[in-house]
Amino acid sequence: MIRVYADPQKCVGAGHCVRTVPEVFDQREEDGIVVLLVPAAPDALAAYLNKAVQLCPSQAIRIEHISENS
Amino acid sequence: MDSIAEAAAPVFPFKRECPFDPPPQYAAARAAGPVCPVTLWNGKRAWLVTRHAEIRAVLSDDARFSGAMAHPDFPTVTAARVVVDQNERAFVGMDNPAHDAYRRLFTREFSVRRMQALKPQISAIAEQLLGEMEAHGPPADLVALLAVKFPSLVMSALFGSPYEDHEFIIACAAARHGLTQSTGEAESKARELAAYVRRLIDVKEKTPGDDMVSRIIEEHVKPGKLARDDFAEIGAMILRAGHDTTTNMIGMGTLLLLQNDALRRQLTDDPSLIEAAVEELLRYVSPVQFSPRRVALEDVAIGGVTIPKGEGLFMLLGSANRDERVFERPDELDFKRDASAHLTFSFGIHQCLGQMLARYELHIVYAAILRRLPNLRLAVPLEQIRFKHDMQIYGVHNLPVAW
Repeated sequence: MIRVYADPQKCVGAGHCVRTVPEVFDQREEDGIVVLLVPAAPDALAAYLNKAVQLCPSQAIRIEHISENS
Repeated sequence: MDSIAEAAAPVFPFKRECPFDPPPQYAAARAAGPVCPVTLWNGKRAWLVTRHAEIRAVLSDDARFSGAMAHPDFPTVTAARVVVDQNERAFVGMDNPAHDAYRRLFTREFSVRRMQALKPQISAIAEQLLGEMEAHGPPADLVALLAVKFPSLVMSALFGSPYEDHEFIIACAAARHGLTQSTGEAESKARELAAYVRRLIDVKEKTPGDDMVSRIIEEHVKPGKLARDDFAEIGAMILRAGHDTTTNMIGMGTLLLLQNDALRRQLTDDPSLIEAAVEELLRYVSPVQFSPRRVALEDVAIGGVTIPKGEGLFMLLGSANRDERVFERPDELDFKRDASAHLTFSFGIHQCLGQMLARYELHIVYAAILRRLPNLRLAVPLEQIRFKHDMQIYGVHNLPVAW
C-alpha cells in the first residue's frame, strides 16, 4: 500500500492531483483546496501517485510506501 | 566572474530565427550553464534561468526569491511594464502570505469539477463559431473568427462580462503584453480594465446572474472578506489572462497542425490522443515568453553562479520546455510523448489558476476544428503569416485558411 499525505496549507488548487488520481484526491467544494478521499492507495496506483507528486506546483503532496501489515 | 559576466552579457530579449522555435541563444545558454547574465533595456543586469530543474527550484523557493512586482528591482523587458508592475494589485504580483489568502478566494471557481461541468457550454461555443466560419466561407482568418472569439465567449459565460465588451478587454490585454507600447498607454489600459470590472461588480450586485462575479460578491464581498476594489484588480487579471494565452495557443497550435500532415492525421485517426497532443502543443509553443520573473532577496548560488541580492531573474519557460535533460528530441513535435512535465503554466504558488480551463478549451476546440474542417489548409504562403514578435505572449496575428 501507499500512504498519501496532502497539505492543505501548501495547496494552491492547481488541480493536477484530482485530474491524475481522482480515486485518491478531490478539491474541497468551498475553496478548491486538496482533500484526500482515502488515507492510502493500492500499489497499482504508484505511477499515477508519483506523477501527481511531480506535477504538484507547491509540493503539497507526499507519498510513502508501506507494507501490507503496518 | 562578475567582470566576465558583465562584459559578456548580451542584450535581452533575443530575436527568434525560426518562428516555431525559441531564439537559438536559449539552447546555447542551456548548454553553457543553468543561468546566463543579460543586459536589459535600462542597462541593468538580469539573469536568465534556462533549465527545467533550476526553474522549478527557483519558483519553489519563495524564501530567497520574491515575485512581488512592486519590488523596485523587479526586472522588465520594457519601460512601459515598469509602471504596470509597480501598480499591480492582484495576487499575481504578490508574495505569500498575501498571495495565498487572495488566491484561495478564487481557486474554487477554477476547480477541476467546475471546469469539467463547463465542457458542454465550451463545446457549444466552439460549434457555434465554427458554424459561423463555415457560413462565412473560405478564405477566412481563423484568428479573427475563432481564436479571438472562442476564449472571449467562454470568459463571458464564466466571468459574467458582456460579450460585446470583448474588444475592449482584448485591447487592454494587448496594451499590457506589447513590446512597443508607451508607458502611458500600458498603464491607462490597466486602470481602465480595473475600472470596468469595478463597474461590473456594481451591476452584478444589483442584478446577479449565474457567473463568477455574482458568486464572488455573494461569497466573499458581502461577508467582508474581499474589498470591491481588490476584486476589481483581480477580476482584471483574470479577464486578461483568460483571453490572450488561449487565443495564441489556438492560432499557433492550428498552424502547427497545418504544417504537420502526419501529426494531424494521427490525431484525426485517433481522437483519444487529444489530451496528450494538447500537452505537447503547450510544451512546444510556450506562448508566455518573459515571465515569470523574480528578484533575489539574498545572494543565491544557482549551479555555482552567485546571483547577487537585488538582481532580477527571468524564468525562460520556453527554454525549460526544450530542455534536453527532461525531453528527448525536444525540438520535435511528438503527440506520443508524455509532455506533462512542461512548465508552460509556470510552477510554484503562482502556477496558472486557469490552466484546467485552458486545457479543456484546447481539447475541445482543436478536436472540433479537425472534425468539422478536415480539409483545412493555409490560404496564403507561410511567409504571409504575421508572427507576434512584437508581443510578450507569442502567437500569430493572422491565420488565413481555406477548406
